[in-house]
Amino acid sequence: MSEKIISEKKTSYGSLDDVANTALFMAVFIGVWQIVFMLGIWPKISLPSPYMVAESFVKIIWNHSLPVSIGVTLARLVAAFVISIALGTLIGLVMIKFKGFGKMLSSFSAGLLSFPSIAWVPFSILLIGFNDFGILFVVIMSSIFSIMISTYSSIRNIPPIYLDAAKNMGAKGFYLFRHVTIPAATPSLIIGIRQAWSFAWHAIIGAEILMSIVGLGHILSVGRDFLDMGQVIASMITIFAIGLLVDRLLLFKLDERVRRKWGLDQHR
Amino acid sequence: MTKLQAKNIVKHFDHNGNSVLALDGINLNVEEGDFICIVGPSGCGKSTFLNVVAGLEKPNSGEILLNGKPISTPGPDRIMVFQEGALFPWLKVIDNVEFGLKMAGIPKGERRQISERYLDMMQLTKFADSYIYQLSTGMKQRVAIARALAMDPEILLMDEPFAALDSQTRDLLLVELQLIWERTKKTIIFVTHNISESVILGNRVVVFKNRPAKIKKEFVIDYRRPRLAEDENLQKYYHQILEELKSEVMARIKDENQ
Repeated sequence: MSEKIISEKKTSYGSLDDVANTALFMAVFIGVWQIVFMLGIWPKISLPSPYMVAESFVKIIWNHSLPVSIGVTLARLVAAFVISIALGTLIGLVMIKFKGFGKMLSSFSAGLLSFPSIAWVPFSILLIGFNDFGILFVVIMSSIFSIMISTYSSIRNIPPIYLDAAKNMGAKGFYLFRHVTIPAATPSLIIGIRQAWSFAWHAIIGAEILMSIVGLGHILSVGRDFLDMGQVIASMITIFAIGLLVDRLLLFKLDERVRRKWGLDQHR
Repeated sequence: MTKLQAKNIVKHFDHNGNSVLALDGINLNVEEGDFICIVGPSGCGKSTFLNVVAGLEKPNSGEILLNGKPISTPGPDRIMVFQEGALFPWLKVIDNVEFGLKMAGIPKGERRQISERYLDMMQLTKFADSYIYQLSTGMKQRVAIARALAMDPEILLMDEPFAALDSQTRDLLLVELQLIWERTKKTIIFVTHNISESVILGNRVVVFKNRPAKIKKEFVIDYRRPRLAEDENLQKYYHQILEELKSEVMARIKDENQ
């Protein structure tokens, strides 16, 4: 038969080219920054040079405030995110099971999806207090609705033919759920998780700025309190780098793997 | 021996609050080893009938008997080959073929052996570890057939399985399917809107009326096998069936224009 296999496309992400492009972009960015600094439009205290920011980096690494902050922030984030995924998935499944409840909650959640995470802070301080649990609460409330909605819609949007075919072969109950529903919903679930991750990341920095005495958000706000722009920018760069690394190294890779298996990214 | 009996199957659908009659009392006896083709205008309800036999849809009245026993739920004794898109993209070809066997609790080694046998029969051994998107449409349908045969069903249900194929691939599969039928002695119900397909494949061809579907006429095609698409002698059957179907297709078009 004159049929041939479509060759597997190699992934381009993470290749040497990309690293070179990123390095080039950073070099240009730092160069422009240096030039603006030397033009002296802003006083040094408002806009330090790249070198001064590097010094701030060394300082906050040396006095341990940066490593400790990263550790604390990530620990909070992981705890909140795990709870968010577990609870959000569970509620999403209940929404599937009870249709009326699902319909009601999905329009309700759609409103909360765009609710600014920072707007949970006063509520959380008064309800729970000025502590770690208050921060967790803000992060959970900011990310759980994307998990709920994504679980609900991913499962509802599974092409019925997969379920028909599986039932036809005798699959039912938990087996059907485990071996058809979950894998069939996975590409769309991953998108929901990526979105929830980015919401959670926004939320934790905001919450830490306003209600913490330790963490990345906290050293950012300490920088402001002491008029230390170097520390502010160093903290911002750290926040940027962590956000990027987690998305690219973890979530993007996961997404890409699933998409490749399904043949969804042949046009990239 | 009667393998499957459809007794007075009636099926309504709710369409915008109106009840639409899809199947209006279908009676059909399928003998063991029969290759039955159901032809009818598209949208006439022939796929609905197949879904009822598969247990994926419940009839409003009437019953389906398999080996004399009534059935109402899907089961691995009646396996369906769908038109397209029913393979699981998250599984490799061989795992797709094994899916139903795994469900049936057949141990891993035996599963592998069975699925390899059917992949070999469909000339797909080389592609056992491929994912579905890597296959052409024709190969996908061969995987679907291998998956169905691996279940060793009492009846194979085929819902326009070749409709999406190019004509060369279809002609090849029409021959392959006849060979498989002769080799495995399976009972097959094959739904199509394509008259030549029905004449080539069926030892009985059942013509459905336009919606609501009813059996209009049945033809017995007693002709040597394997039958080829280009065989002139099949023309007379083709024309007899076309004569019956013409008025139904016209009725269908009239329905759609209303």
